[in-house]
Amino acid sequence: MSLRSPLGAALGHGSARSGPAHGWNQRLSALALVPLGLWFLCALLALPDLGHATVVAWIATPTTAVLLLLFALLSLWHSLLGVATIVEDYVHGPVVKTASLLALQAAHGVAALCVIVAVIAILGGSAR
Amino acid sequence: MTQFHLPAGSRYRDVPGRSHPAPAGAQRVREFRIYRWDPESGQKPRIDRFEIDLDACGPMVLDALLKIKNEIDPTLTFRRSCREGICGSCAMNIDGVNALACTCAIADIRGAVRIFPLPHLAVTKDLVPDLAHFYAQYAAVEPWLKTRTPPPPDRECLQSPADQERVDRPSACILCACCSTSCPSYWWNSDRYLGPAALMAAYRWVVDTRDEAQGERLDALEDPFRLYRCHTIMNCVAACPKDLNPARVIADLKRRVGDRQH
Repeated sequence: MSLRSPLGAALGHGSARSGPAHGWNQRLSALALVPLGLWFLCALLALPDLGHATVVAWIATPTTAVLLLLFALLSLWHSLLGVATIVEDYVHGPVVKTASLLALQAAHGVAALCVIVAVIAILGGSAR
Repeated sequence: MTQFHLPAGSRYRDVPGRSHPAPAGAQRVREFRIYRWDPESGQKPRIDRFEIDLDACGPMVLDALLKIKNEIDPTLTFRRSCREGICGSCAMNIDGVNALACTCAIADIRGAVRIFPLPHLAVTKDLVPDLAHFYAQYAAVEPWLKTRTPPPPDRECLQSPADQERVDRPSACILCACCSTSCPSYWWNSDRYLGPAALMAAYRWVVDTRDEAQGERLDALEDPFRLYRCHTIMNCVAACPKDLNPARVIADLKRRVGDRQH
């Protein structure tokens, strides 16, 4: 049992002097994903079929590659911001919390690298 | 990890409660199911059932609680004072919703009236929760006027009627804790998240034109947990017995903190 005063516990270690950027980034990425998501859906529906050759040929144009990279990277960024919040909300042990956040960042980082390499490879012709 | 379930042995379903039937000849009988627990007794929590004759009872839930305490079971413990919705003492969870027992009409509740203490607070006894941390969070936002300009020697600090209107609504908060204890973010992170009530109190001074510490106040709130753990769930708005809008106040605080960045 701690004899720390309730006010001392409420004040804790003070303010971290951060926070607005997270919410701003989450809303900004969400807004950007609306037109990009619509574009992605419409573009896929407009393809004659979803076979490997057709989709690779579609990605191999510079406009598609740029928009696809934007869509995938923003989705991953938005996802990381969201799941990190869930971990911060519900995981309270400092070790497990830090490990979970690092694992999430690593997983999203690896996924982002895979997307970039894949699109560049298709664009450069090495993946056809 | 967050604990989603009560510890083993503390669930009220483990122990049968006591039943108090209505008096003979009662015409309009309503059942009240009330959470009972005395942590110092060593016994587990239970739900007691009381059948009340509404023809011999006032119209509000607090009237029924007082009738039970005065006539049936004097050990029933709860807070109450003004009995007209201005002191905030009788806040409790009634029929699944945080409310003031004195302004909650029995007629508005269907079936048995289920009464529990405010959720996610330590229980002192029966319907009395421990509000020490809640009040400490209120104190932590320093809810008093802070100025650097010395007050005029011959009068008080003046405020225009329009400026006063800005603090009218946030000043109406009675600190009953209905909002904070209805907020899931507060349930899981009340050690760091200030909660809607304390943020409403902070806002009341941030928008006060006589106060000269807005910057310091916003500095103290600029934190991923203290302010930004609000995820706009809006339970606070539904729970407030004074019809205040803590969610809008928190959004305005976030906007004011964010506006300093650009």
